[in-house]
Amino acid sequence: MANDLLQLRDVGKSFGATLALAPASLAIQDGSFVAIVGPSGCGKSTLFNVIAGLLQPDAGEVRLEGEVVTGTAGHVGYMLQKDLLMPWRTVQDNITMAARLTRRVTSDDRAEARRVARQYGLGEFLTHYPHALSGGMRQRVAFMRTLVTRHPLLLLDEPFGALDAQTRLEMQQWLLQVWKDAKRTVLFITHDVDESIFLSDRVLVMSPRPGRIIADLANPLARPRDLDALTDPQFVALKRQILHLLHGGGE
Amino acid sequence: MSRTVLRNVAIPLLSIALLLLVWQGVVAVFDVKPYVAPRPLAAIQAVTDNWGLLWPLILGTIRETIYGFFYGLLLGLGFAVVMAKVPFLHRLIYPVLVLSQGVPIIALGAPLVLILGFGVTPKIVIVAWIVFFPVTVNVLAGLSHVDQDLLNLARVYGASRWRTFLQIEIPASSTSIFAGLKIGATYAVTGAIIGELATTSSSGESLALYQEHANSNFSTAAVYGVTMVMTVIGISWFMLVVGSEVLATPWQRRTTARRAWWRRADDVTESTSVH
Repeated sequence: MANDLLQLRDVGKSFGATLALAPASLAIQDGSFVAIVGPSGCGKSTLFNVIAGLLQPDAGEVRLEGEVVTGTAGHVGYMLQKDLLMPWRTVQDNITMAARLTRRVTSDDRAEARRVARQYGLGEFLTHYPHALSGGMRQRVAFMRTLVTRHPLLLLDEPFGALDAQTRLEMQQWLLQVWKDAKRTVLFITHDVDESIFLSDRVLVMSPRPGRIIADLANPLARPRDLDALTDPQFVALKRQILHLLHGGGE
Repeated sequence: MSRTVLRNVAIPLLSIALLLLVWQGVVAVFDVKPYVAPRPLAAIQAVTDNWGLLWPLILGTIRETIYGFFYGLLLGLGFAVVMAKVPFLHRLIYPVLVLSQGVPIIALGAPLVLILGFGVTPKIVIVAWIVFFPVTVNVLAGLSHVDQDLLNLARVYGASRWRTFLQIEIPASSTSIFAGLKIGATYAVTGAIIGELATTSSSGESLALYQEHANSNFSTAAVYGVTMVMTVIGISWFMLVVGSEVLATPWQRRTTARRAWWRRADDVTESTSVH
């Protein structure tokens, strides 16, 4: 389709004799928020590494904005559960990391870093080193760093997985706010079913051995979403469906 | 601030003063003969009385230490980077490096004099020989333990190997690099003295031989005095390296960064730290 930002065609990956990711095809609409949920070892991260260009798939093709980018890096924003902030850089300089790694950092880069940081509650910490920040704030910085790359597609691999439940809920609401403002496309890996539903327009369910996408579910929940969404009957119904897909039984 | 000065400067000075006091006391109480062990003041006096003669020798030792240290540092970094990047060269070079440290340093004197003469060069070579090894070993360890996920992230952003090396691998290894430098700094002066012992011909040429000469003349005060001078050189050099680590790695101690002098004030937010 014309407004698909990302298209995968028969992309598969093996490591030796192990099929980590069975050939998968997928189209992600521009501006959408797509969650990928599945148990560990289901090939979620392999899928991400192929899209990010870290891994060359055995077969198939990755297209971003219509261009073939299979096996080449530098096209997407990428964020992991580990914040991977550089301890020797301040918050501001961590946010401009992608620029620093590819070219000269300009005043505009720094101004943009300050702007997003101020807008999303990090303005007072621009000159702080990461060790002075809490886990939730470090993840915000990591996300800001991903955001200022200006790549239309952001790959988030369990970004809130290491946070406590309270902070995680705050971060999810924060992320929805930023996503709404920034108008990017997000692919979001999680093993938390609630998280996948609360955030997304669409949930892809994966199963392990070999890793494959077993369901592609539209999320009917209306936006904007607040905490009441977590107990909405539509939420509960979708959660039940996903849990059955992941753990078998029912339906 | 004044408490920090007290803790970091006054207390160490006090402990050195106490040490000298105990030394003075022991020599006085047990009536130790001056040719066996002098009083500390006599040792210091033996230095100040001959300052005109000693000063050029002290400068010589300092020069050997500094030159040797920096050559050792460059060599150590070079080996570490090459070995970290090319596994084949790692296997090829490592045994030779270990072998180089197995050679008794003092035995290097004669061949080095044959090759390089009696000048300052063989001393510098010996200092560099001793200094490069701890630098190589530590930097190699540092470079090999950079977080792989961080390196992958750099790749996702399309970073070149050179920028990844400068922006990530080097700063991520800074603790290891300075660990190697600190060990190297403590060895450097020892290396210079060994170099002087092994590759100088007369007492007017080096601090080490001046001391040997004083020893054979039973000028024990001068022997102790020169030892104190050597110690001061060694400690000063070590402190300089520690000081440069403090300056180079502010994030180890500080919560917020100071504005770098080359950045305009309006290009960096003023710190509104609450810490």
